[in-house]
Amino acid sequence: MISRFLLGVGLIGLMIVASFGTYTYLGGRQSKVAIVAQKPTAASPRPNAITLPGTLYLAQSGALYSFSFGRFHQLTAQDGWTQPSLYPNGADLLAVQRLYDHSDVFVLSRFGSPVEQWTTNKGGGLDTGSSHWSFYPRLSPDLSTLWMSYDSPKIGYDVPLSIWAVPAGNSVVHGKLWTNSIDYTGGDVEPIPLRTGGVMYTKYSRDDNGDLAGQLWLATRPSRPANGETLTTAGAEGQPLTGTDEDCAQPSISPDGSQVAMICTYQKQVSYLELASWDGSSLGPRREVITDQLVAQPTWAPDGSGIAYLAPGAGASGFQLWFLPKARYNPPTPSPITVPTPTPGGPYHGPAPKPTPAPPVVVPLVKPIQITTNAGFDATSPLAWAG
Amino acid sequence: MSLGIKPGRRARASRRRLSIVRTAALAIFAIGLSAMAGSLAYFLPAAKLAWDATGQVISLASPTPSPSSTASPSPTPAPLYQPGAFTVLLLGSDDDSKFQADHVLTQSMILVRVLPDTKQVIMLSIPRDLYVPFWTGGSGKIDGAYSYGQAGGAVATVERDFGVHVDEYIWIGLLGLVKLIDAIGGIDVVTSNPVLDDYYPQDIFSTFPYDYQRVAVLAGPQHLDGIHAMQYVRSRHNDLQSDIGRSKRQQQVLLAIRKKAKQVSSADVPSIANALGGEIKTSIGLDRVAQLIPLAASFDNPDAITSMVMLPPLWHGGGPGGSLTPSWGAINYFVHQYFPYG
Repeated sequence: MISRFLLGVGLIGLMIVASFGTYTYLGGRQSKVAIVAQKPTAASPRPNAITLPGTLYLAQSGALYSFSFGRFHQLTAQDGWTQPSLYPNGADLLAVQRLYDHSDVFVLSRFGSPVEQWTTNKGGGLDTGSSHWSFYPRLSPDLSTLWMSYDSPKIGYDVPLSIWAVPAGNSVVHGKLWTNSIDYTGGDVEPIPLRTGGVMYTKYSRDDNGDLAGQLWLATRPSRPANGETLTTAGAEGQPLTGTDEDCAQPSISPDGSQVAMICTYQKQVSYLELASWDGSSLGPRREVITDQLVAQPTWAPDGSGIAYLAPGAGASGFQLWFLPKARYNPPTPSPITVPTPTPGGPYHGPAPKPTPAPPVVVPLVKPIQITTNAGFDATSPLAWAG
Repeated sequence: MSLGIKPGRRARASRRRLSIVRTAALAIFAIGLSAMAGSLAYFLPAAKLAWDATGQVISLASPTPSPSSTASPSPTPAPLYQPGAFTVLLLGSDDDSKFQADHVLTQSMILVRVLPDTKQVIMLSIPRDLYVPFWTGGSGKIDGAYSYGQAGGAVATVERDFGVHVDEYIWIGLLGLVKLIDAIGGIDVVTSNPVLDDYYPQDIFSTFPYDYQRVAVLAGPQHLDGIHAMQYVRSRHNDLQSDIGRSKRQQQVLLAIRKKAKQVSSADVPSIANALGGEIKTSIGLDRVAQLIPLAASFDNPDAITSMVMLPPLWHGGGPGGSLTPSWGAINYFVHQYFPYG
């Protein structure tokens, strides 16, 4: 028989283990909802071993990262960096540094070192309204003009973003106001300078019910050629490319210039990836490519092999990097059915044989590929993809 | 004995067997007891906080005669009444240091009708500037009903003025919203437009609550932490619809919280309760909360959620102190299409 002393000691030990074990077990049963996103360079599990063409630039928690050859590299410190875009000469990047009460556009080297500051938006004095925001910088194909959203003009409580074109490297006072945003909507964002000289952008406006919605717009001439001239009415400088009912934004033009990828939310808490043909002045019929994810920032691969985008992933924290292969939205055309040639032979007087219907060609649905699992990228920061 | 076993030996063998059984039983009992103790230690802080926050009694002061009990009966019966349905009044307050803790305004008042059978939810935001008679007497903007009569005063004011019955209320402070969203790891939301405000109140985590700051919440699908979600739902200076536009944004964030909360497990409750401590109060009892959690998770059809705000002609501007003057006939007709009579 076990001695009572040993039994007592054993039971106490068992109780301690059981109580601590239960506590620890319950702690371990917590869901992963509150998991903090990890740096893409340190994410565990490691990013899927997928190699995308070229180099992709993304933002997370105020730092810029590049993704090439299946690996992430941190380019800047976590210091408010966001919205990278490509410098068309291939040597540098444009990016926004967003601080507490203002943001500025910088030129960075491909390795993340600041080369030049292009805007100075920190205001002076006690008035919080004296500072400015610059967002979504893009450089024109000829490197001569910085396009960006900039919160001027603003009057009183109305702080709308407008599209500005500023000679590269110059102060915004030398810039041209290209769009006249609609009052109290948040304004005009995401400019894409076109080779034809105009600009595609997202304008926020109100529908017939007064609800706010995004619309892709095309502006072919500046709203105000130079500072000090009379403003035209909102939107007079261009034309809408999408309707307010579609609520579309974040346009991205394909490398061959024939298609536009965008997100459309239909004024709901959804976000569909849609494609439309683009002829330089209007969009063709929409094609919904992804409807079951909260898609953000679609960006075409420079070689046209697919579209990268950000969306939440299963069991992940925040927005992850996804890649949609071209085969999903542009499936290969099935090979033509070979018609059998008649075999030589004698005359046949019977009924003509009916051709057997060809079996339907089933194109397997290509699924998007989730590249990161717990990176939590900044979904308000467009991706930049260099070839 | 006939089997050749001596009586003393059998008794010892029996005791030995009994001893093993007893020991095993004792061990199982000890393990069970310890596991319960471990569970208790894990859930006790949350249970205490939940006990404090839930099951709040709605206390009402004696009503003073209303200066204008103009709520007219609705010609349409409420078509969405069904057994098991209930109405909750959501109250959101600026509870920063500008106000005394017991006299805060409700910047957000949302009537929510839950229809479990058809898994429908109807949300109706009440403009905070609506000029109404208070249950406690006198009139003013409806956001003051809580200030004068606490949750009971707000509930009674809504019940009497709108002619509806409120089954439960949930009150949450500003900091509570921030903590709740952070405790569930942030929310994924589609912000409808860029929200920029040069004069956003800097009254959270600030030593001078009357200061201002600049905020810019960009548009589109994104992951928001508590602070930025609060900036999105609270800013109103850059919105032509002011409080109405803000109400629409509040409903978007509520839906995102509900969506995220579906991923929460019971083991998360202590950390969430700990984060929320004191920033949330509700009349819903703990037992009812336990019933409602799985119910909320089953509401997964976004088309079955109706979000509404009160727009003109339900009210018109020009009321006292910048308030909105209600058109009670129109309001009652509208409200009772979705909320049954009280």
